[in-house]
Amino acid sequence: MIYAYYPGCSLKGSAKRLDDGVRRVFNLLGITLNEIPDWNCCGLVEYGDAYRVRLLSKKNLEKALPVSTEVIAPCPLCAKNLKESNEDSRFSIFHPLDLLTPQDILSIPAKRDLKGHVFFPYYGCLLVRPKETAIKDREIMEKVILYYGGEVTGTEVKDRCCGGNRFFVDRELPEKLSRIILERSCGTIVVFCPLCHMVLKSFSGERKVVYFTDVILYVLGEKKKL
Amino acid sequence: MHQTEEEKIFEYTGYRRDDFSVCLGCRICASVCSLNDVGANVNPQDILLSVFLRKMVDDHPLIRLCTSCYKCTDSCPWGIRIPEVIRAIREISKKEEKFGKALRSSIELFGRVYEPYVVFRIMPYLLKNGYWKFFPRWTEYMSFHLPRLKGSK
Repeated sequence: MIYAYYPGCSLKGSAKRLDDGVRRVFNLLGITLNEIPDWNCCGLVEYGDAYRVRLLSKKNLEKALPVSTEVIAPCPLCAKNLKESNEDSRFSIFHPLDLLTPQDILSIPAKRDLKGHVFFPYYGCLLVRPKETAIKDREIMEKVILYYGGEVTGTEVKDRCCGGNRFFVDRELPEKLSRIILERSCGTIVVFCPLCHMVLKSFSGERKVVYFTDVILYVLGEKKKL
Repeated sequence: MHQTEEEKIFEYTGYRRDDFSVCLGCRICASVCSLNDVGANVNPQDILLSVFLRKMVDDHPLIRLCTSCYKCTDSCPWGIRIPEVIRAIREISKKEEKFGKALRSSIELFGRVYEPYVVFRIMPYLLKNGYWKFFPRWTEYMSFHLPRLKGSK
């Protein structure tokens, strides 16, 4: 199976680790990811004109057409924008977590378990809201962690906002919002979004912030430490 | 003047005025709003009411602070996408912040958000407003990379 892969701007820079992780996980599952040639920005949430955002994302879908109509976008915001611009449902847009089932991940022979590790899977906003573009299984990461013997905390704050979107407008707002999240959870923070990663990394102190792919790769023996 | 601005809100969001007439005033949006978790004391319903009454609100704290977390949309009985209305007002009233301008200019230049360029553009702002204290944390995982020029592969 060949999928068109839309990495998004952050994954080429600050979230390079997520990009590598997604490619490696899909490689292990025997799924080929072909990067969309000459893709452009998805439009973020910076434009007030929803039409303009959809126009940018539609351009990406057109560029994906020669590769595949099945598109994978690991950044929650890119996935949301691409899903919304897919008005005529010509394409199928997936966040990696739309595509993977816990069974898929568990089907790869594991080399390690997570016993003794405490995790806080932090889904953030755009992965679980709005309903139309959300992922199907909101507990997928918990299932994987619990299966391998890890401990899960902070389920009541897993979909709270970290304020990342306004980080460079008001410095104190994300700090206060992240404090709530950090105080009501413990252990390694597992994030899905490059922006959540940046904000939580800024305020997490000694606590580790890792991407979900890091946890999967660690269990599969592809990564030496978390 | 205000008439055209209001029309723009509808044009940008794809909503019609009638879509806001269904708001029941239940304030569930206010009760779940992330900003109220940190004591901002805002009511997203104000925005819908103003738009419905053809008034332009550009001084509401939400216009500057809404984080687009979609909690309001998720709880709203009508699923009204308040963050998108707020983003439209933000654009129309030109309340765009330095960071937003830098992002847009990067998209125009490179077709993508090229992070080193964005950071360079807002560096004076970052230094002036105390963001420098995060630099050690960011450099733990961020690194420099070359831009892709528009149109190249």
